[in-house]
Amino acid sequence: MLGEFEYARAKTVKGVCALLAKAGGRGAVLAGGTDLLVTIRQGRASPGLLVDLKGVKGLLHLTVSPKTGVTIGASVPMHAIVENRGIRSHYCALAEAAWTVGTYQIRHRATIAGNLCNASPAADTATPLLVLDAVLEVASPRGERELPVRDLFVDSKKTSLSFDEIVTAIRIPAVPSTTRTAFLKQQRVRGHDLAILNMAGRYDPASGDLRVAIGSCAKTPVLVPPLGVPVPPDAPIPDLVRRLEALAAQVTSPISDLRATAEYRKALIPVFLRRLLESLLLERDHREAIR
Amino acid sequence: MSLHPIRLTVNGKPEEATVPAGMTLLEFLRERLFLTGAKEGCGAGECGACTVLLDGNPVTSCLVLAVEADGCEVRTIEGEAGEGDLSALQRAFIEEGAIQCGFCTPGMILSARALLERNPDPTDAQIVESIAGNLCRCTGYEAIVAAIRRAAKEERGRR
Repeated sequence: MLGEFEYARAKTVKGVCALLAKAGGRGAVLAGGTDLLVTIRQGRASPGLLVDLKGVKGLLHLTVSPKTGVTIGASVPMHAIVENRGIRSHYCALAEAAWTVGTYQIRHRATIAGNLCNASPAADTATPLLVLDAVLEVASPRGERELPVRDLFVDSKKTSLSFDEIVTAIRIPAVPSTTRTAFLKQQRVRGHDLAILNMAGRYDPASGDLRVAIGSCAKTPVLVPPLGVPVPPDAPIPDLVRRLEALAAQVTSPISDLRATAEYRKALIPVFLRRLLESLLLERDHREAIR
Repeated sequence: MSLHPIRLTVNGKPEEATVPAGMTLLEFLRERLFLTGAKEGCGAGECGACTVLLDGNPVTSCLVLAVEADGCEVRTIEGEAGEGDLSALQRAFIEEGAIQCGFCTPGMILSARALLERNPDPTDAQIVESIAGNLCRCTGYEAIVAAIRRAAKEERGRR
């Protein structure tokens, strides 16, 4: 037996929010359960009520359009993201990040919304969603609101959501067709480890717009402050790495943990910046191919 | 703890039960249905010894609540063999020596089954990826990859 808790399944978003409100902070949302059920088993969480989202039909939608962008329902499993052709071609950093999460067994259960709301500093899908300006659709008994992903993370394992709020969908705005994205991850064992460091980038050679996000190097995944100037495709990469490394240092503070030392993470940042920029500017492939 | 009625299909057979909220699908299969092929190794979704197919997809049944499987179709290793006959995958595991202690084997075979159902002609890299969530402490994996390759070939030949 995993633990002493009640279980409830609602058919509507309103029903889910009402159950969470009634539980008064003792409730937890059950989507894929791949983080929640482990934390309960290990005694790191002891919710009194699990509210299962999987009875809400409207949360399983996944729409991808180059004109309007992407909408990912809260119950959509990671596997569906990896397999989606539209996401793989127009938002490949997100598909690649989802691909690096766990194993087939985990990706068939785990959700993007769960990955975000678990608020791990190492959350793999957070960095691509940060550079893609993703917005969360949030519901509560008080109504609905939008919350940019960059405003979700408050601290390690803490979000700005209140106990009776749920993420119903993740929305990614349309990007210019010339946009390139990339995701990189350092881990010890594929499928069995969290990121020592992950990094996502977005670059549009037409406008010179470049954005970078880093995970596992601060209390939350972070956006690197913008360079403030357009980046031409032939910009010298060593110079860009130096400038971005200095900007990244303003928002990162790597720690030593069981996966790597702070020094290793710090040394990895410029290496990953170089690889990321080579992927984005020169389209040189440093990524792990989706098999 | 709340109790919940569930209805599901396990290896093609309809089952009905009342389960406590905290019971995992793995516990339900092993302790209620006495299907002890799926094993508990880590209990945290890492070792894959508890892998079963839920609506055709491989999942770690230690991280699925029994109540979540309400309305679903579950396949376990007990459903892999035909009437009195082992499946191509099971025979290939024996013939390639892909079994030693056997603890990981049910999960390995179900992960491989899920692979062959979505991709009857996998590359070695795809085979390796399909069993990335199944740990084996005995074989060194080479014989397992060879067994899946062999079963895939045999099953393709039968089509």
